[in-house]
Amino acid sequence: MATNDIYKKEYDVIIVGGGATGAGTARDCALRGLSVLLVERNDYSTGATGRNHGLMHSGARYAVTDSESASECISENMILRRIARHCVEETDGLFITLPEDDLGYQQTFVEACQRAGIRADILDPEEARRIEPAVNPDLIGAVRVPDASIDPFRLTVANLLDARMHGAETLNYHEVEGLIINQNRVEGVKLFNKLNGEHIEVRGRIVVNAAGIWGQRIAQSAGVNIQMFPARGALLIFGHRVNQMVINRCRKPANADILVPDDTVCVIGTTSDRIPIETVDDMRVTREEVDVLLKEGVKIAPSLATTRIIRAYAGVRPLVASDDDPTGRSISRGIVCLDHAKRDGLEGFVTITGGKMMTYRLMGEVATNAVCAKLGNTAPCVTATQPLPGSEEGAPSQSDLTKRYSFGQRAAIGRHGSLAARIEKDNDIDNALVCECEGVTVGEIKYAVHQLHVHNLVNLRRRTRVGMGTCQGKLCSCRAASLMGEFRNDVKGAQEDLAAFLDERWKGMRPVAWGDTLREAQLTAFIYEGLCGLDMAVNTEGKEDVQ
Amino acid sequence: MRMDTVIMGGGLSGLACGISLAKRGKRVAIVASGQSTLLFNGGSMELLGHVNGKAVTNPLEAIATLPESHPYSKIGADRIASLAERIKLLFSDSGIEMTGSADANHWRVTPMGVAKPAWLTLNDHLRIDDLNNLPAKRLALMCIRGYFDQPNAMLAQGLRDLGFEVDMIEFTTDDITALRRSPSEMRATSLAKHLVSNNALRRLADQVNSLAGDTDMVLLPSVFGQSDSSDYQALQAMAKKPVRLVSTLPPSVAGMRMMTQLRHYFRMLGGTYLMGDTAVSGTFEGDRLTSITTAKLADMPLKADNFVLATGSFISRGLRADYERVYEPVLGVDVDADADREQWTHFGVLQPQAYFGYGVATDGNLHCLKQGKPIQNLYAIGSVLSGHDAIKMGDGTGVSLMTAIAAADHIRESK
Repeated sequence: MATNDIYKKEYDVIIVGGGATGAGTARDCALRGLSVLLVERNDYSTGATGRNHGLMHSGARYAVTDSESASECISENMILRRIARHCVEETDGLFITLPEDDLGYQQTFVEACQRAGIRADILDPEEARRIEPAVNPDLIGAVRVPDASIDPFRLTVANLLDARMHGAETLNYHEVEGLIINQNRVEGVKLFNKLNGEHIEVRGRIVVNAAGIWGQRIAQSAGVNIQMFPARGALLIFGHRVNQMVINRCRKPANADILVPDDTVCVIGTTSDRIPIETVDDMRVTREEVDVLLKEGVKIAPSLATTRIIRAYAGVRPLVASDDDPTGRSISRGIVCLDHAKRDGLEGFVTITGGKMMTYRLMGEVATNAVCAKLGNTAPCVTATQPLPGSEEGAPSQSDLTKRYSFGQRAAIGRHGSLAARIEKDNDIDNALVCECEGVTVGEIKYAVHQLHVHNLVNLRRRTRVGMGTCQGKLCSCRAASLMGEFRNDVKGAQEDLAAFLDERWKGMRPVAWGDTLREAQLTAFIYEGLCGLDMAVNTEGKEDVQ
Repeated sequence: MRMDTVIMGGGLSGLACGISLAKRGKRVAIVASGQSTLLFNGGSMELLGHVNGKAVTNPLEAIATLPESHPYSKIGADRIASLAERIKLLFSDSGIEMTGSADANHWRVTPMGVAKPAWLTLNDHLRIDDLNNLPAKRLALMCIRGYFDQPNAMLAQGLRDLGFEVDMIEFTTDDITALRRSPSEMRATSLAKHLVSNNALRRLADQVNSLAGDTDMVLLPSVFGQSDSSDYQALQAMAKKPVRLVSTLPPSVAGMRMMTQLRHYFRMLGGTYLMGDTAVSGTFEGDRLTSITTAKLADMPLKADNFVLATGSFISRGLRADYERVYEPVLGVDVDADADREQWTHFGVLQPQAYFGYGVATDGNLHCLKQGKPIQNLYAIGSVLSGHDAIKMGDGTGVSLMTAIAAADHIRESK
């Protein structure tokens, strides 16, 4: 549907926020037959969804301190293995005890896991070293749990796609400027189209606030107060996959105690710092955060000390303040669903928050239940059993892939599951590789531009992993920018976009710019500034702080 | 093994220094990893492109105003003009045909269609002497189908912004189509490897001739001639219009060609080029370096009267940075760099970055310093030097060449 027609329609439900929670809610609402519009102010999964470990918790981490979250996690964990298998890698996880930790905690931990229904097998250290050679060899204890690795970008896109297949409309780069309120009833949203500067009003019977930490502002604009508790966490991505299993510390949750393998890389995190709500858009990682992550990370896997760090990034957990614990860790990360009619006397407005990426589906279910109750819809929730697009029965297995497809096709199937069939591959140009590290073809870029709401290179990176591999977009970003400039017939825009893309990468590289990362940065400067003169082609005045 | 001079690093500066010494009968060995930033070259040498963000029109005049810490100032601004003439000669002796002058920059055209100030440009590459008097009115921009390392749309737009009329013409030949079956083969160097036979060039020239229409000049990506310009010349002989090349994304065929020609000339002069090896450590006695060891010749130190450090910047691993400091990894000589990691870089990827100015500290004669004292027989040249930002000033290749010849002069005068 054309964007203007999307504006004109009136919806059963308008969902604010294009992270995993918003996407999951949109899918659930659409599957229950509601007419749905989802709006996102930036790109999909740019908030906390795209800024975490990519860890599919077993729930073990919360077993001792928060049994409710632990139970939610293990139940969602088992569901996602079925419905989102193309986004999940079943790695399992270890909880290790180091000489500096109390081995007595292990027993408490295992018992708490069992109470929550999480399989937890005690291994002897020798066995742990055998199954995970990267682990700190000094460990004195290990427990194996069903942790896994998950791709939150792919997961979010799969939810959005399914929502759209069931009639939902989705708009990225549409920021909510305020709600349309008539007496005591929310009747829609006032939107700002960031792509063309237009201001629009769209009507809906219910508005769901699924904007994560930014939900406080959305609620405020309706005169409703939700006290959010922004807890910032920083993470580091290493240049190759050191570990095959998730490795956690078996102790009370603390800084930098989880190492997760994600595709070809691995991620250590996180720190946890309470920050003022005004600073939630400043995602720069500080030197102190890097120092803590490195110091603690090498205790989990000593080889991290000599592994190149590709980039640093930070996200903000959208917790709802419930007590005054300054570390932000004892707070329940349980799901919070607020019906503002009951809470604040404002009809037609629901907030879904708290929770975690891991429980996005359940959050969607809870929010959709609240919406359906208001609308008198009695359709049951099917998201726990119906596979996401890309994970349906009959999707090709890994061994099928290696036999039948080229590298680029295999990589695309890995990313898009059965949807990869929609990628053009009829001629040799469509099959030509643009990104060699990640196997992204011209056809896949066309598919992403035309079908996955890609407006710029950063969008493209999130949909296809272009520029995410070990070379970090050295050449492929220019190839992709040029192709997109052609597809979209906007060359100057493509150069500005390329500069913004490189700047985005640099923001993550700068906090860890030494060793090979600094070398890569200099190489990028040689190519894009020295050789190509990109700095002269775009206006760099006053761009030092551009997000 | 005993040499008059051992040069660590076989890139542009190492080769220029080696040639300059070998030409005067010195026994010279170059230890070369085989990598060089010439792989990112755009077909030109740059003496000084920008000062404080402004394009330089007369490099010689602008060089006279540079701060004392700049390598040109250490050589002496008054010597640059005569060194520039010697460098031009060195290139033509090596068979590299370039045009330009040190007192008037011309413009090269980048893969993105930006005009950048240049000192010397390869004769087969597009060169604009005067932006108000373009070398052609209407260009045929020939785009190879399926070749993505020339951002065609950006290049065409840039050329139009400069005032050219541009016809974008996509084409292919049987040879290129065959190459394209393997999706990773469409890189400048593999094209250059395959577009060598007379038949392949003939088929290409036929396409160019039939498609170029009413244009005045044909532009092709710089994918011709890894070892010399004969492939280009063969193509030009068959083409009905003047053909000029435009540089591509790396790897740079023009850069590889220059490397090959300089290396060949150095060997012709009797120089020893130890390919695929790197210097790993040195032995000092007082204020002199007596020998170095290399990765491959661990048991056989290389002894020499003089040594030259031409190992390049971070990109070439001539400089290293770890979690705590910036250092020179082979000899542990002094570097000019900020101690605080926070100062090395800045947010804003296209902003000036402090680390570009970091490098080996030298005295007025390009002697390396160790713990503050000059090493009398050790010189640093090229990108390993501190005191300038090659990216923002557009002086990287110029500094490499000038310091190479200046160090060679010091070495000849030292005994």
